[in-house]
Formats: sequence, structure tokens, C-alpha cells
Amino acid sequence: MSGTVSRNHKSSGVWRTFRKQKIPQTFAILGIIYLLIFSYVPMSGLIMAFKNYNISLGVMGIFTSDWVGLKHFKAFVNDINFWTIIRNTVALSFLKLIFAFPMPIIFAVMLNEIKQNKIKRCIQTISYLPHFISWVIVSGLAINFLATDNGLINQMLIALGLIKDGIPFLTSAGHFWPLAVVLDVWKDMGWWTIIFLAAITGIDPSLYEAADIDGASRFSKILKITIPGIRGTIAVVLILALGNLFGGGLSGSNFEQSYLLGNAMNLEKSQIIQTYIFKVGLSNGRYAYATAIGLIQSVISLILIFGSNLVSKKVSDTSLF
Amino acid sequence: MKRASKGDVIFDSIKWIFLAVVVFVTLYPFYYVLIQSLSQGMSALTDNVIFYPKKLTLENYIPFFTDEKWKTAIFISVFRTVTGTAIGLMFTCLVSYSLSFKDLAFRKFYFTILIISMYFSGGIIPYYMLLKNLNLFNTFLVYIIPGALNIFFVMVGISFFREIPQELFDSAHVDGANDFIIFWKLVLPVSKPFLATIALFLGVEHWNAWFDSAFFVQKPELKTLSFLMMQIVNKNQISGSVSAGAAAYKSSMITSFSLQSAAMIIAVLPIICVYPFLQKYFVKGMMIGSVKG
Repeated sequence: MSGTVSRNHKSSGVWRTFRKQKIPQTFAILGIIYLLIFSYVPMSGLIMAFKNYNISLGVMGIFTSDWVGLKHFKAFVNDINFWTIIRNTVALSFLKLIFAFPMPIIFAVMLNEIKQNKIKRCIQTISYLPHFISWVIVSGLAINFLATDNGLINQMLIALGLIKDGIPFLTSAGHFWPLAVVLDVWKDMGWWTIIFLAAITGIDPSLYEAADIDGASRFSKILKITIPGIRGTIAVVLILALGNLFGGGLSGSNFEQSYLLGNAMNLEKSQIIQTYIFKVGLSNGRYAYATAIGLIQSVISLILIFGSNLVSKKVSDTSLF
Repeated sequence: MKRASKGDVIFDSIKWIFLAVVVFVTLYPFYYVLIQSLSQGMSALTDNVIFYPKKLTLENYIPFFTDEKWKTAIFISVFRTVTGTAIGLMFTCLVSYSLSFKDLAFRKFYFTILIISMYFSGGIIPYYMLLKNLNLFNTFLVYIIPGALNIFFVMVGISFFREIPQELFDSAHVDGANDFIIFWKLVLPVSKPFLATIALFLGVEHWNAWFDSAFFVQKPELKTLSFLMMQIVNKNQISGSVSAGAAAYKSSMITSFSLQSAAMIIAVLPIICVYPFLQKYFVKGMMIGSVKG
């Protein structure tokens, strides 16, 4: 019977198996072709980073233009914006790691202490909502609440007599980092809680019962049973966050935040590698230069992902792969 | 043997206060935007609208039903969400199901291709050039084709389909069913959590997308709702003052702030209506992805 496949099929020749797996092979190959076009063709475009390419040369110019070695990479390191961009990229991710990472753990522990299941589920459902909302809308909310003249928070602070003029939360460099972190917590705390709460649910209940007999307080049970019980999950999320230090940050939000909430007034704190690539690449048309910057970022990210995974494997026996 | 010690009472109080703050901080912004969108634009700029709408009106929603620009954008957003989700779901399912076969010939080769593209990419500039040279710019297809296969979802799918008990397949083969019938009649029905999760994620992604509309499309009749909203948000962010907020539409009391609020409500509403019902699925689906992915 053609088209019939046993999932445990043992065959002498790989081609014989292949011929018997008509339908799965068709779709697997379709998927691979798709990836070759949309992932691997752009990867081949990376050689632009080592070439003297400009847009006027057309697509084929990527392959025919002269090699310039590391010229673009050197240019980036000497770019007057270099240190600002690196600082902003790392600082945003790092601040999120410090402030946005512990929040879902605290929230999960608190949720777990609710005995009424309906209330627990209801609160959790509400807490996911912002995750599904786009950063465009979150930026809109930020304007509603934080605009200098008629944002709600400024109006309230003025009404309370705490300040005389509105604070330019959205249009001053000094406020950008805290703004980004607060919005990140608001948007994704509930989402990350899913993972931690599931991990807490998996803890052996007899541990708590034993602690009850010993008369342990709820707080000490959290510190001595709950937190150690989810150590593995914490490690996994930490690896993800460290791996994203040079990329999008914990929830991958750096680009959209910096692009949507960045403006001329806070550029000095909001411009990151990704938005800079856009500016020099798509706005200024310096394709080769922008590609080189992108390549630096990809390579460092890759090193960070595998590095943090390796360290975690050594230290805590937890790893992603 | 429950006793309410002093410590427990303090702990409980902190817990409930913390949770109440979370719920309030999550929900109030949406309520605030809702009452802004229902207040007359001009007066909302001068009066404080905090608890309930002032000068209740539906005027701010009128442009979304009369203005060609907004009507087209809503249509494009709905259309891309429906078709994009359907095509993405189908493609992701078929590819991940096929790759989940444990004895698939050339499996190692396929997985190598898959995993490399998960961790490494050419970056935005080569990607931009690719889409341009495939003539996808300024077409509706640029919303559908480039996102039709998400590698992460494929990985989640593979680990999901592998969980299906082998006996299910064995008995079907004995009955002489072919792969396609097995997929349709056996696999899909037990894959509801996975299908619902992917459908939700793809749907939300399409509905929220502004990036492709901003960079790959110039035609005004192909712009999405999310993109138009991004434009207003960008404008209001810099101005943020009464005078600049006025006159989004002449001869009306609509300001660009009240228009933004109404647009936000329209964009959020479908999400609020859908996600709670898929919750039991995506919590399960996400765990499969994060634990095994």
C-alpha cells in the first residue's frame, strides 16, 4: 500500500523508507524549502557585511562587489554612537532582568496562597490580558497616563500639589529606562507567572504537610519549600533572559519599546542596536554597514545563549538543550 | 489544626493588597481609555475624566464607520488575521506533524536546517531585500507569506504530536487507513490544545502587526489598523498638548486623543473577547513549549 507508513518502520534503505513516506515527506520538504527561502537566503546576504556594497549595485551586487574585510565592523566600533547604543541595549535588558524578572515569581507565590480556586483563576486570567495587547496600544496607554500636559498621572500630581509642571515622562532621556522597565512589568508579569505557577503546582504536597506538623509559618514554607522547589524553572528563565541580553531583553520587547516610545528628546537613552540598524540601514540606505552591525549582534547573542546555558548546566544541572 | 497566628494575618493582608493592586493596575488603564473614548473629545482635554465619561457620546467612534481610511484598515486587519491565521495554522500543523515521525527519512538533516534557523538569522536588511526582490512589497501577500511558518511553533508542534500514543496509529494502520485519514480523523481531534494555542498566538500576532505595514507597504489602501494607530500614537507622544490634540476631524469635537482612545478600544475588544475562552488551552500549550521546547 503506497502512502501507508508505520511510525516504527524499520527499513534497510533510507530511500525505501523515503518513498513509503509520501505525505509526511512532502510537507517536511515544503517546510524546509520555505526555511531555505526565508531564513537561509537572508543568511547568505550577510556577506554584504564584508563587502563594499551599496544599493545602486542591485541584488547581484551583493556577490560581485569588492571585499573590504572588517571595514564596516571597525567603522561601527569607531562610530560616535557606539558606546551609547551598546550601553542602552545592555542597560535596558539588564534592568529588566533585575526588576521585571522577580515580579512574576512573587506574583506566582502570592497566587498559590489563594485557596479559593475561582478567585485565583479569575485574577490569573486578568493578569494575562496585557500580554496579548500590542506595544502600539501599550504606548497609547502610556500617553494617556504619562503625557506631560494632560496625562492622568501628571494631572493627579499637580492636583495634589506635589509638582507644579508636568513631568516629561515620555519626552526626556532620564525617564526612558524606568518607563521601559515599568511597562515591561505591566505587560508581561502575568504571562511569565504561568510558568512559575505550574512549577509550584508540581511541588510534592507532602513537603508542606511535613512543614505544617513542624509548625512552620507560611513565610518560612515559601522560603524553604516553594522557592527551592521552582529553582529549575527560575534557572531556565534566567538562561533565556541572559541569552537575550544583547537582543530583545527578557520578553523580547526592547525593539518595539525603543521604536515606539523613542523620540528626539530621549534618543540618547532610547536608541539601541536594533533601532540603530533601522536608522542607518533603511532610512540612510547604508545596507552593508547596517548588516555588519546586525551580524555583530547575532553573534554576541548566540555566544550569550550557549554560554549561559553551559554555565547553568555546570552550576545547577539545568539547561535548555 | 489551622490557627491564625499574627504572622499569618499580616501575610494574608500583604497578599490581598498585592493582588488587588495587580488587578487594579491591569484593568484600570483599559477602563480609563474606555471612558475617554466615550467622552466628548474637547471637554475631555480640560475636564478630568477619571471615574465615568463626561458628556457621554459615541462621536469618537464615527470615523471608524464613515472614514474610508479607517474602514479599509479595519477590513485589511480582519482579513489578514483570518487568512493569515488559517494558512499559518495549516502549514505549521502539517510541517510539525510530518517532522514528528520518529522514523522519517533524512530526519537529522531536516532538524539541522530547522535548529540553525531558530538560533541564527540574516537580520533585517537582507530580509528586507529578500521580500523586495520576491516582489512582495506593496501586496497583501507580504502580510501572509513571510509569517506562514514560525519555527518556534513548529518545535512546539513536534513535541506535542510526539506525545500522541503510538497505539492510536497502530490500530488505524491495521484498519488500513492512510496517513492523510489518520491525520484528519485521529490526530487533529486530539490536538485541540495545540491548535487553539497556535491559532490564538497567530491571530493575536496578525491583529497586532504594524511593523510589516510600516516598512513593506506604502499603499494607503493596504495599511492595517495597528499601523494607523501607531501613527496617531507617534504624533500624540511628541505633542501631548491641548492645541496639538485638537482638530483630528474638523467641524467636530473629536481630538486626536479621543480618536486614539476609540481606536484602542476597537483594537483591544476582539482580544478581550477571545483570549479568556482559549485560556485552558494556551496554558497547557505554553507549558509543552517551554518545558520541552
